[in-house]
Amino acid sequence: MKMIKDKIAKLSFVGVLVGVTAAMFYAPTAAAHGEKSQAAFMRMRTIHWYDLNWSKDTVAVNDTMTVTGKFHVFKGWPETVDLPESSFLNIGTPGPVFIRAGSWIGGQLVPRSCSLELGETYEFKVLLKARRPGDWHVHSMMNVKGGGPIIGPGKWVTITGSMKDFKNPITTLTGVTVDLENYNIDNIYFWHAFWYAIGLAWMVYWMRKPIFIPRLIAVEAGKADTLITPTDKKVGIAFAVGTMAIVAATMASTNAAYPITTPLQAGLLRGMKPIEMPAPTVAVKVDDATYRVPGRAMQMTLTVTNNGDSAVRLGEFNTAGVRFLDPAVHEDETGYPDDLLAEEGLTVSDNSPLAPGQTRTYQVTASDAAWEVYRLADLIYDPDSRFAGLLFFTDESGNRQMVTVDAPLIPSFI
Amino acid sequence: MSASQSAVRSRAEAVKVSRTFDWLICFTLFFVVLGGYHVHFMLVAGDWDFWVDWKDRRLWVTVLPIMAITFPAAVQAVLWWRYRIAFGATLCVMGLLFGEWVNRYFNFWGWTYFPINFVFPSQLIPGAIVLDVILMMSGSMQLTAVLGGLAFGLLFYPSNWPVIAPLHQPVEYNGMVMTLADLTGYHYIRTGMPEYIRMVEKGTLRTFGKDVAPVSAFFSGFVSIIVYVLWHFFGRWFGSTAFTTAS
Ligand SMILES: [Cu+2]
Repeated sequence: MKMIKDKIAKLSFVGVLVGVTAAMFYAPTAAAHGEKSQAAFMRMRTIHWYDLNWSKDTVAVNDTMTVTGKFHVFKGWPETVDLPESSFLNIGTPGPVFIRAGSWIGGQLVPRSCSLELGETYEFKVLLKARRPGDWHVHSMMNVKGGGPIIGPGKWVTITGSMKDFKNPITTLTGVTVDLENYNIDNIYFWHAFWYAIGLAWMVYWMRKPIFIPRLIAVEAGKADTLITPTDKKVGIAFAVGTMAIVAATMASTNAAYPITTPLQAGLLRGMKPIEMPAPTVAVKVDDATYRVPGRAMQMTLTVTNNGDSAVRLGEFNTAGVRFLDPAVHEDETGYPDDLLAEEGLTVSDNSPLAPGQTRTYQVTASDAAWEVYRLADLIYDPDSRFAGLLFFTDESGNRQMVTVDAPLIPSFI
Repeated sequence: MSASQSAVRSRAEAVKVSRTFDWLICFTLFFVVLGGYHVHFMLVAGDWDFWVDWKDRRLWVTVLPIMAITFPAAVQAVLWWRYRIAFGATLCVMGLLFGEWVNRYFNFWGWTYFPINFVFPSQLIPGAIVLDVILMMSGSMQLTAVLGGLAFGLLFYPSNWPVIAPLHQPVEYNGMVMTLADLTGYHYIRTGMPEYIRMVEKGTLRTFGKDVAPVSAFFSGFVSIIVYVLWHFFGRWFGSTAFTTAS
């Protein structure tokens, strides 16, 4: 009996070991970026990223690539998130695997935070220079003060080459060209080693003599005053005066070596230029919207009126960076990340061209595993159960126009 | 053999044991102080010390000495008043810098590849030496607080300047003026640290124009005086032997 017990114990132990080891080697690729753990309403109702383009899939160290696109600052911004009064256009990469050589909103360089207006759409561009080899997930990203990071879609980019070859030359206004990758490092090491040596000398001076027990005995015997000798005082004064003299001298010599220095630059950038969007000619009213939990599908009833002068068809529904397309109307040719693209995810009851002046009621279904994979379905557990997204209509000459939708969402569990 | 009998049998042996004890305590003290001081400093001075684009003329100069004089004051209170040892402040600051360099080199550079010229720690040793000497010469807590605290605040900026100045050279970058430090912070992507949390050049010391650093340093010195007194008493309370004194 005992033998069987031992065997079971042993086997289960081996089982646990195998399990743990297997778990260590199993690393699901996109699991570690946090993009899915953000509340669904944050991703659906704040910043809508679209027309994104990652200029390269593979880039060599020292070469550049861009992430470009547009983002729409949603009018129905949730109350629980602070307004984008102070926002910073960031880029979601695992640390400085690239350097951010530039970033622009509406053509304005944005090295600092800026103010964005609700309801506006902006064009952005981030210029990245490859630094560290590897496969990296590169996300568009906007930080909003009081709201946290709002992560956009991510795409895998491979950097090839060696980090040793990375160079980052910058020319200052005084005409000197330096490599920011290692500029001033020797100077930093020198001064830190220098002062550490002086600090060490001061400690060694005291540690040469017995320290704790004899001195404690002397202090307790009332002979504390005898413990500091005249030599100690002389050495102490030499250290203090020497230290102050060195600080003063190096301050002066540094000022002579670098006569022109400026303070750090800071301050909010206001007046970002949005894209001047033509007034939408398609009017959309959401009659109702339900999310079917078992089917992983969202159904909307829309009343659409075409006030323009060209017939339109509904080609795409985009929410939280997930794109549901009707392939009969619109196909993606930009190499958008697969996991965020439902190429046939949009079903429309009657998607024949809607002639100018006409009004029609659409039954639209957006279905894809992405609802679950990207945890957008968690929307039904959010405190403010609304959904939002962008609808794209394509007219006869192939122009796309964007219409935002924002409505309550009713879950359906059966 | 009775319990009260000494473990050492000769004077030479006593000296040897006492000396071994010295090394053991110094070694332990260094790392214990390092641990506590380093955690404290990361919590209260954190980003100001981590990133070169936070090391400005106002808040960095003000915040760091105030937060750094804490442990030196407490350790001085124990080492000076019980042992008349005058390296308390220096020991603390050297421990802190050792821990910081290990962190910056192995974590910031080794794991995440932020260049060292972006993440080096601030220099505190000159202020600590002067603080130690003032206590040794005066033997007075009040005088050390006033003179030493002030000196600690005033020495901070100039002792860092040789390392910081090269990074404050201006650059024109895509139509904007930045310092090399700003540019480093912009180039080397910190996904988790948006620009708006950077607390630099904020405040109302505008009437002083570009001479704001000395004003900030004086202010920092004044607050350091108060913090010194407070932490000196923390040191005394923590250094109490009331419960261990033999009858
Ligand atoms: Cu990712």
